[in-house]
Amino acid sequence: MMLVKQLLCSWKVWVGVIVIAFLVLIPFLEIRGGYLQTLGFLTFLYISLSTAWNILGGYAGQISFGHATFYGLGAYTTSILILRGIPALLTIPIAGIVASFYGLLWGYPCLRLRGQYFAIATIGVGEATRLLMLNLDDLIKNNYLLKGFLQKGVLTGGATGLMLPMPPDIRTYATGFYYGVMVLMFGALLVSWWVKNGKFGLGLFAINMDMDAAETVGVNTTRYKILALMLSAFVVGISGSIYAQYVFYIDPQTVFGFPTSIAMVLMPTIGGIGTLTGPILGAVVYIVVQDRILTANLNLGFINLSLSSLHLLLYGGLLVVIILFEPKGLLGMYRRLSNLWEKHKMRFLIARGGIEKI
Amino acid sequence: MGDITIDISALIVSAILLAGLYATMSYGLALIYGVMKIVNLAHAGVMMWGAYGAFILIARLGANPFLAPLLIVPAFFIFGVFLQRYVVRRVMGAPPISSLLLLFGIWLIMQNISYLVFTGDTKAITTKYTLLTFQVSGISISVNRLVVFIVGILALVALRQFLGRTYMGKAIRATAQDSDASKLVGINTARIMEIAFGIGIALAGLAGSLMALIFAFDPDFGRSHLLKGFCIVVLGGLESMIGVALGALVLALAEALSVLWLMPALQDFVSFALLVIVLVVMPGGMKELLSKFIKN
Repeated sequence: MMLVKQLLCSWKVWVGVIVIAFLVLIPFLEIRGGYLQTLGFLTFLYISLSTAWNILGGYAGQISFGHATFYGLGAYTTSILILRGIPALLTIPIAGIVASFYGLLWGYPCLRLRGQYFAIATIGVGEATRLLMLNLDDLIKNNYLLKGFLQKGVLTGGATGLMLPMPPDIRTYATGFYYGVMVLMFGALLVSWWVKNGKFGLGLFAINMDMDAAETVGVNTTRYKILALMLSAFVVGISGSIYAQYVFYIDPQTVFGFPTSIAMVLMPTIGGIGTLTGPILGAVVYIVVQDRILTANLNLGFINLSLSSLHLLLYGGLLVVIILFEPKGLLGMYRRLSNLWEKHKMRFLIARGGIEKI
Repeated sequence: MGDITIDISALIVSAILLAGLYATMSYGLALIYGVMKIVNLAHAGVMMWGAYGAFILIARLGANPFLAPLLIVPAFFIFGVFLQRYVVRRVMGAPPISSLLLLFGIWLIMQNISYLVFTGDTKAITTKYTLLTFQVSGISISVNRLVVFIVGILALVALRQFLGRTYMGKAIRATAQDSDASKLVGINTARIMEIAFGIGIALAGLAGSLMALIFAFDPDFGRSHLLKGFCIVVLGGLESMIGVALGALVLALAEALSVLWLMPALQDFVSFALLVIVLVVMPGGMKELLSKFIKN
């Protein structure tokens, strides 16, 4: 009872409730022709990605530049299965499981590498996977054992990618996915919260701080890291699956591309690496800024600069500034500012004689 | 039969020529890692800027393609020294991940400045040497590639002399071996690191400007070469230039043979898969493998 009373008094809870109510109601409000709904969909999707990456990259400190492999694999698994007549909802968990097992496949050897070497190996894995998916059809065509997997000569569609059939009622479909991805986001946050506050998370934090020490006190570092990678891959795979069903079209350069991996590194790092709310903050900033900038054009009279590349330029700059001055990201910056503000307020009150000197 | 032998020997010759270029590119990476123990992800961005630098000098200003490096090398050396002095030095004591992310951020900045300035169009430099070839016992060799190979090797030989003969070079090697001990014997390690970083960046810029003469490039250029560079450095071990050269040769040959036996489109796949395998299976490089082999 006391807890509930305390919760009701906190303004943060009220703001949270209002924000969530607004987000739930967005599809009914029909603001600006579904623009907000699409933006919301993307934001939720990227919050899921960012939170999932943070489990491995933030909690366990293993920076992966290869998470696009899971995203792409999830998207491709779903598309291939749907094109073969398997119900769409069933393909979502399968996509997660496939991505998770792919994580086991390359995570098992690569996670034995430490810090920087792991990061480099993941760039290699990501690029190799992308190239493999680009050429998979041609490879299979030449192999009589695997030929059976082709349907009308197509499995992954090579560079042209795969098209999914569109449903008749696109608006209801999109709204359904809006809520679906919202559930996914809360699921990812719940998992992240559970990991952070459990024994598993403690093990991961220990690995992050000092791997040898963690090993000495009895953390099975290899198993913990692989489990973290698989968990993270599962969520990313499901996100990829939902993305594919939402946009109806995927190709290797988009879903397996390096920019997808970069986004997953940037969002949590900028928001606040290794925290629960940091990845949310990072993803929201990422999507909103991207949305504002991608459509902007700067006309300087004689040259017309497209600002679409400014997006990643800005994030690169932000990343450098954050690493140099505030390793805890935007969240750390916020905390520092609010601390300053509290101090300032205290001083002001003391000066006014409002409260007794401590 | 004759045709196939000529095909294979032509492939091997071109692999050797490419290996010279790879060695130039990788040695910068190895030097920076050896002295500062950081992985320079910005190498890719520097190579790309080297390529665009060559493009501006040669295609726009009409400089001689093989003299362009004379301008590019000092410019990138200064760039590297400033980068180390004002940016990278701040994360030297921090965990390695922060230097990795920092250099990744610098790479992103460089790449997207190029997108802004040069747009994403693929560019290539064509000079009067581009299509020139000559024949040696049935194998045609591109003059362009040969000269690029020679320039890269000359740079490495000059660097080897510098590292072996001069005080500064010896100080760099000492810092790479043990930076605390070097500090104790009176080496200004902060300064040495600036110079080593500058040399590494200059080599990357040189490699980029030479690559621009052979390959087409866009602002995303350099990522695959960066990965190949890592592969070579790990293969060859970090200490020796000979090791790096051997690693470059192994990688170039593996690529050439994958063109012959697999699909040409999978050439890069082979080198990235090799990177992962090498990292996981033999982190000590070929040297470790050889010593194991000799012991048994």
